[in-house]
Amino acid sequence: MRRSFVSLMTAMTFLVIAVTGVLAFVRPFSMTIVGLHALMGFVFIGVVGFHLANNLRPLKRYLRSKWMWINLAVTAALTTAIALQPQPVKALLGLSGNLGPALDRFELHDEGLTYQYTPAPHYKLTLSVRMGDAFDPADPPEFAIWIENSSFYHIKTLHRPEAADNEASLPYWSFKVKEYEKAKLAAAAGVDVDAISGATKNSSFDPADYMLPVDPEEPMPYRILVEINQPGDASEAVDDQPSLIYSVEVDNSDPHAFQLLDLIGYPQLEEDEQPPQWAIYYVDQRFDSALELIDSALLTIDRDKPAD
Amino acid sequence: MKPHDAQPDRRNFLQHSLLGTAGAGMALASTSHVTVAAETQGEESPDATITNRVDVLVVGGGTAGTIAAIQAGRAGAKTMLVERGSQLGGTMTTGGVAFPGLFDAWGKQVIAGIGWELVRESVELDGGQLPNFAKVPQRHWQNQVYTNQFLYAILAEEKCHEAGVELAYYEFPQAAKRVADGWQVDCVGFGTQRRILCKQIIDCTGGAEVVGMLGFDRLREEVRQPGSMLFKIGEEHQPGREQVHRLYVHGADSSNSRTVTQANLTGRRSVLAKVRAEKKRLMHLQPETGFRESYRIVGETMVTVNDYTSGRQFDDAISNAFYPVDLHTKTGVRPKPLKPGTVPTIPLGALIPKGSRDLIVAGRCLCSDQLANSGLRVQASCMGMGQAAGVAASLAAQTGTTPMEVPLAEIHKVLREHGAIIPGKA
Ligand SMILES: Cc1cc2nc3c(=O)[nH]c(=O)nc-3n(C[C@H](O)[C@H](O)[C@H](O)COP(=O)(O)OP(=O)(O)OC[C@H]3O[C@@H](n4cnc5c(N)ncnc54)[C@H](O)[C@@H]3O)c2cc1C
Repeated sequence: MRRSFVSLMTAMTFLVIAVTGVLAFVRPFSMTIVGLHALMGFVFIGVVGFHLANNLRPLKRYLRSKWMWINLAVTAALTTAIALQPQPVKALLGLSGNLGPALDRFELHDEGLTYQYTPAPHYKLTLSVRMGDAFDPADPPEFAIWIENSSFYHIKTLHRPEAADNEASLPYWSFKVKEYEKAKLAAAAGVDVDAISGATKNSSFDPADYMLPVDPEEPMPYRILVEINQPGDASEAVDDQPSLIYSVEVDNSDPHAFQLLDLIGYPQLEEDEQPPQWAIYYVDQRFDSALELIDSALLTIDRDKPAD
Repeated sequence: MKPHDAQPDRRNFLQHSLLGTAGAGMALASTSHVTVAAETQGEESPDATITNRVDVLVVGGGTAGTIAAIQAGRAGAKTMLVERGSQLGGTMTTGGVAFPGLFDAWGKQVIAGIGWELVRESVELDGGQLPNFAKVPQRHWQNQVYTNQFLYAILAEEKCHEAGVELAYYEFPQAAKRVADGWQVDCVGFGTQRRILCKQIIDCTGGAEVVGMLGFDRLREEVRQPGSMLFKIGEEHQPGREQVHRLYVHGADSSNSRTVTQANLTGRRSVLAKVRAEKKRLMHLQPETGFRESYRIVGETMVTVNDYTSGRQFDDAISNAFYPVDLHTKTGVRPKPLKPGTVPTIPLGALIPKGSRDLIVAGRCLCSDQLANSGLRVQASCMGMGQAAGVAASLAAQTGTTPMEVPLAEIHKVLREHGAIIPGKA
């Protein structure tokens, strides 16, 4: 194949891979970006094949040089270090908006979705959401999954919706995230916020602290919430059923291996409050198909006693 | 003082206390005057003991007893209420736990009736706000109703009066025995001796005092939950709208005058120490320790924590209950919420002392294990029980039977007529 075409093609596919790679690191998980990164990777492999074919002679020369061995050693060392994830590497990965502490996995499949979080080798949290009859894979609902502490402050979003306009479709989660951003800023500025004070110890924004409390005498209860909404789904009573909130409380002092998330209600704006707040209300007769979006949501906690 | 010296006062003690409370408040604010009405109470017996003949005697005018008495009165029974303290409401008012709950569960009201009527009216009269039961509280207890304890106590008296309930404060049973057509209960108070002949007794003393006096079995934990002394230091506050402070009184025991004295002394001493330590003003102090737990009856049916947390629908359920399992210990309290949709019920059998006739209890002394009781003891549940006990006792008195043998359908019918919510039919 023509040298100039292959070279330019290599450079351009590389550019796409590089940009999506950085985005995948920095931004929260996005199917578009990761999909692009992976598939463009395959194209890149093909083009690199042609590129190698075009440059066989210099390549052979390189392989015979002493740089070959140095390169091999450096690559092997880096691969081992990153794969083993010692603390500095973990910290670096922790900076990623997508990989987070590099400990969670999210998977969408025919039956629904599975989210896994493993803050330590002996602790694995799995959230399995089984989709109900009203869930249409061709037009999936918007949903968010997040963790809150016992002061009801958002700690970490485990799954965020793809749509940009999620304030309208998932108002409760959006509100919680905004509160969290504010609390985090306030905490950074040294202001006492409820999120990090209050009756129960709540001194952290790191989910791992709640799942693996340092002091077993002072467990930090937390809850996992799901907000789900199929925009524009009419029921007999309304043109658009509001989003629904499911939740489960996890008490590390009294752990259960399996817990089902319960439907707790729907969000409604309390305009009289200053500033207006989103509160949850019990479901009423307006809901029909929205109640069928989720069949069940099961939280499984697999934990062995940590080695002393 | 010889008993007969005190006669005129004794006759009028009811009106005195009924109007005296309101009068004192008004006198402070203005120059209004109130006059104690002079009406004869009871029948004078030759030995200067007042004798009353009633259908239903309620002992203990606390959270449950007040409602039981009003209900019995409204159901047409001649009712008398004997209370050892100076006002109605018990733990709610004298103890200061003026935030009754829980009338709702999962977006619906599950307890209504006379207790709710009284709570609602006292909040409305006070310009307060009732919780919105459709809204999910972040914690169960946030749907408790902040009530003005002073108003509640007076309104309760008004409702007793309207229902024809005779009130006797500063009195308590000293002896009780079975007689041909029911019970003879001898009560004493300062300057008062009273003999009450009644067909039915409703024991709402919190610790099943009458049940114990009659020799029926009772249960009691070795280590009871602490009591609490409620107080407020700092700035002025609006009673009922703001939470007062409280401190645990461990070992608090409401069994008798000596243990209650001890609990009050301990509580007040601790408050004084706090005031000294914090160098603030003492703005409020309840006159008595609030007791969480003492004796419970051994009933025909025991409500276990499993019955409670599974929301068991008893065949003879007479009222709903709702609250987390809420055991207070030395290390504090960690409430365990009920699973969504769960609404526990209270069976009539748990209010009947085992093997008894013509005797029923209501309130925290119902037959239950300690964990179930930690949830069942809350005020709305006590009120629901009180109302049911009032119906069962008045029907039993009218038909010459015992509460356990009154057809359940009859109890439900009268309860419904008086605005109560029947389990499973809310
Ligand atoms: C500190 C504290 C906090 C609580 N928090 C809550 C809460 O947040 N929400 C809630 O709903 N509930 C709460 N509770 C529980 C609830 O208040 C009580 O369990 C409930 O009010 C008990 O009602 P009762 O009618 O059984 O007894 P009480 O209300 O105690 O009534 C008993 C009455 O009987 C009288 N009495 C006793 N012995 C005799 C006798 N021998 N002769 C004549 N009269 C007698 C007493 O003076 C009293 O008036 C709390 C309790 C305490 C102490």
